[in-house]
Amino acid sequence: MARGSGGEKARQRNHLVLIVVVLAAIGVLAAAGSGLESGDDTSGAPGGPGAGRSERTLSIAFASRPRSLDPAFAVDRTSATLVLALMEPLVRLGPKLEVEPALARRWGVSEDGRRITFTLRPDRIWTNGEPVTARDVEFAWKRVLSSSTDSPLAGPLLALRGAAAYRACTFACGRLEEAVGVRAAGAQTLVVTLARPEPWFLRSAGLPQLVPVSREAILREGREWTEPGRIVTNGPFVLGGMNENGVSLVRNARFRPPGAARAARVEGRFVADAAARVQAFDAGRVDALDGSPLPKTDLVALQERREYEAYPGLETHLYAFNFTTVSDVHQRRAMALAIDRRTIIDNIAQADQLPTTGFTPEGMPGFETLNPSSPWLPETGDIEQAKELMGQVQDPVRNVTLLLNDSPGHREIAVAVQSMWKELGITTEIRQQEWAQFLEFIGPPPDASIDSFRLGWIGDYVDAMNFLELWTCDSGNNSTNYCDPAYDELVSEARQTPDNDERYGIYAELEQKLFGEDGAVPVAPIYWYTYVQLEKESIKDSLEVNLLSQTDYTKVVETDGSGDA
Amino acid sequence: MTRLIVRRVLWTVPVILLVIFFTFVLMRQIEGNPFRTSERAIPESIQQNLEEKYGLDDPWYVQYLRYVKGVFTLDLGPSLVLRNRDVNDIVRDHFPPSLELGALAMLFALVVGVPLGMLSALRANTFFDYGAMFVSNVGFAIPSFLVATLLIYFFALEWGDIFGLPTSGWDTWQSKVLPTIALGLGPMAYFARLTRGSMLETMQQDYIRTARAKGLRWRRVVVVHTLRNSLIPVVTAAGPILGFLITGSFIIEQIFAIPGIGRYYVTAVTGRDYSVVMGLTVLLALIVIVANLVVDILYGFLDPRTRDART
Repeated sequence: MARGSGGEKARQRNHLVLIVVVLAAIGVLAAAGSGLESGDDTSGAPGGPGAGRSERTLSIAFASRPRSLDPAFAVDRTSATLVLALMEPLVRLGPKLEVEPALARRWGVSEDGRRITFTLRPDRIWTNGEPVTARDVEFAWKRVLSSSTDSPLAGPLLALRGAAAYRACTFACGRLEEAVGVRAAGAQTLVVTLARPEPWFLRSAGLPQLVPVSREAILREGREWTEPGRIVTNGPFVLGGMNENGVSLVRNARFRPPGAARAARVEGRFVADAAARVQAFDAGRVDALDGSPLPKTDLVALQERREYEAYPGLETHLYAFNFTTVSDVHQRRAMALAIDRRTIIDNIAQADQLPTTGFTPEGMPGFETLNPSSPWLPETGDIEQAKELMGQVQDPVRNVTLLLNDSPGHREIAVAVQSMWKELGITTEIRQQEWAQFLEFIGPPPDASIDSFRLGWIGDYVDAMNFLELWTCDSGNNSTNYCDPAYDELVSEARQTPDNDERYGIYAELEQKLFGEDGAVPVAPIYWYTYVQLEKESIKDSLEVNLLSQTDYTKVVETDGSGDA
Repeated sequence: MTRLIVRRVLWTVPVILLVIFFTFVLMRQIEGNPFRTSERAIPESIQQNLEEKYGLDDPWYVQYLRYVKGVFTLDLGPSLVLRNRDVNDIVRDHFPPSLELGALAMLFALVVGVPLGMLSALRANTFFDYGAMFVSNVGFAIPSFLVATLLIYFFALEWGDIFGLPTSGWDTWQSKVLPTIALGLGPMAYFARLTRGSMLETMQQDYIRTARAKGLRWRRVVVVHTLRNSLIPVVTAAGPILGFLITGSFIIEQIFAIPGIGRYYVTAVTGRDYSVVMGLTVLLALIVIVANLVVDILYGFLDPRTRDART
C-alpha cells in the first residue's frame, strides 16, 4: 500500500506521542500511588499496602477466609483461630495441652468421674453489656448438638449423657433437650453429666465449638449474628471488621487479666495461595503465617531460615490394608517393615514430620506409656527382614492396588513406597481419585478392588481413645475389615477406666495388639503430622501453637520493642 | 433490532433449562456424598436426616423440578456443604470481584490490543510491527499463571519500592493492576493480532482505495472506514472471551488471593455441593448468553448489512 505523504507522517508521529504520553502518565501515577496511605486504619477493616501499623499490631496471613465465625461451624483453621480469639472458652489449652482456667476459674470432678462442676468467673461480660453466665454455655452446647443447627463439630459433645439421642432427633425434641447432660445450676455454676466417665472431657472444653454464645444475639439476629457490627463476643479480642480480604481484631478493653491480649490489634489477611503467603511474609506485610502448608518447591530452602518453625500436630498419616485381600499377617508386617520413613520425611514430605512408632501420635497424653516402639515400624525400614518375612507368606499377594486422593504430595510418597514394596516382589498399582470419590471407595466398607489406601486420621478430642477406637469391629470408620473381638473388649474396658494411668496401660495393650511382636498390623503408619510456618524473629518466642494447632494470640508480643516494619 | 433482542431473550429460557438439565444429570452421575467432607464417616441416622432435610431422598424428577423452580424464582437454596450459607449469599459476596476482574481484563485487552494491532497494520513490516507482533506472540503463548508469577516477582517484590504494588488482595486500585494485566495479556495479544490481520485485509478493499482516491483525509479513512469494518472479527471474538474471562479466572484469583467465585466453583464440584454447582453454572451460562447478545447488537452497528438481513 502506498506510504503516506509528509502530512500523514506527522499524524502518525502524533499518535506515537500520544501513546508515549499516556504510558508515562500511568507510570507517574503508579509511582505516586506507592506513597499513598491506602485503607482507613480506624474503620477496622484492613486496608491496602500502606495501612499504618502501630507498635503492637500483629499481622497474620491466613490461608482462607473463615468459613464462619459461628463456633458451631468453625471447622477450618482460620475460623477456629478467630473464634478462640473472639470468645473465651471455659478452659484454655497450653502448648502440651495442659488445661488452664479461663472462663471457668475452677472445677471439680465427682467420685464416679461422670459429673464435672465448673465455677465461672463472675466478671466476664458480653460486648453487648450482658454478663456471661452458665446459661450461655448450656445454650451453646445444646445448640451445637441440635439437629436443626446441623453442626459438623458435635463430636466431642457426644460424651454428654443424652447427647446422641438428642442429636438424632428431628422433631418434638423438647424432652430430649432437657435430658442432655449440661445444666446451668446458677449464674456461675455449670453442671456437666457425662454418659461415661471420660477424664479427657476437660480438654474438650478448650475446643472452639464449646465456647459460650449469646443466646440473645442469636435469637435476635438469626443466621446473620456473626456479621461485624452484630456479633456478640466475650473474649480478649473484639471484631473490628471483616471483609473479603482480611479481618481485624482489636483488643477488648473490658477484658480483665488473666487472659487479656498483649497486642493492640491483630490484622489477618486472607491469602489462598501458599507462594503468595510466603511472598507477603518476605515483603514484610505479615509477621507470621498460620500453619497452613508451605509451597512444596521451596520447603527445603524455607527450612534453613531462622523464621521457620515446625509444630507437631495430633495426626497420623498411614497406609491401611484391606484384610480381605491382604490377609496374611506376615505380608502386612513385611510391607510395613519395608517402608523407609526417614527417607520419605527427609526427601519427599520435607516438613520435619515425626516417623511413627505406633498409631497414636506423639504428644498425646499417655504417649510414653502406650507407645509400642513397634518392631514393625523401624525408622529407616528393614528390607532384609521384610524379604525374609515375605518368604514365609503362604499365598502372597503379588499385585496390590494403592488408593490415594488427589491432594498434592500424596502421589510422590506413594511412588516411593511402591519402589520399596517392589523389592519384596510386590507390584503396586497406584490409583489416584478425587476426594469425594475416594471417600466413597474407602467406605467403610472399602471397595473390593482396593488392597491398600492412604488415610490421615486426626482426633476429635484429646485422648488416645480417639485413635484406638477406630479399629473396633463396628467403629463406623474402620475401612480395613480388621475385626478382633479381644481388641473390642479391651476398648470397652478402657472406656470404663477413668483413672488416667490405668487407662494408658490398657492403651499400651491395644497398641501391642496392633503393632507389637504379635501385632496384626492392620495399617502401616508412616508419619505424624507437623504444621510448619514462618514467624518473624521478633515474635517467635511469644508465638506458641499447641498440639491441637491452636494459636493463642493474646500472648504474642514483639520482643524487640521497635515500631513499624 | 428490538425483534432481535426479544427473540434472544425468549430463546434464553430453553437454553437455561437445558443447562440445568445437563448439569443435573452430570452431577448425579458422579458418585459422592455432599455431606461427608473428611475421612470420618457419617453415622447412618445422621446421613438420612440430612438427605431428608435437603430433599436428596426425593425421586430425581422432583429434585430436578425443584431446581428449575429455584432458578426461576432466584432462590438457589442452601449450600449442601457450607450448610449455614445460601448459594445466593455466596454469589452476592463473591461474584462482584470476579466480574470486576473479568471486565477490567477485557478493558485492558481492548484498549491496548486494538490500537496496537491497528498501528501494526498501518506500519506493516516495520520494526514496530515486528516488535509488536513478537510481544503479542509471547503474551499469547505464556500461560496466565506464569505471567502472574513473573509480574508478582518483578513488580511486587524485586522492584516493590518503585511501583508499590501489593503481592495479593483485591481492595485498593494498586492491587488490581497486576491481576488485570496477568489475565488480560493473552486476550490483548489475541485482539492485537486479530485487529492487525483484519485491518490489513480491509485496507486492500476497493472502497478504501476509492475513499483515498476521492481525497479523504487519511485519518478519516483509517478510523471511519477501515477500523470500523475491521472490528467485526474482534467483536465476534470478544463475546465468548468476555464470558471466558469472567468464568475462567480461577487460577488468577488463586494466585492473587482475589475473593472471587472461581474457588467456590471448583470446591463445590469436588465437594459435590449440588446446589452451588447448579447455581453457579446457570449464572455463568447467563453471562455467556448476555455477552453473545451484546455482540450481536454491536454487529448491527458495525455492519448494517447484518442489521437489515436479520428480521
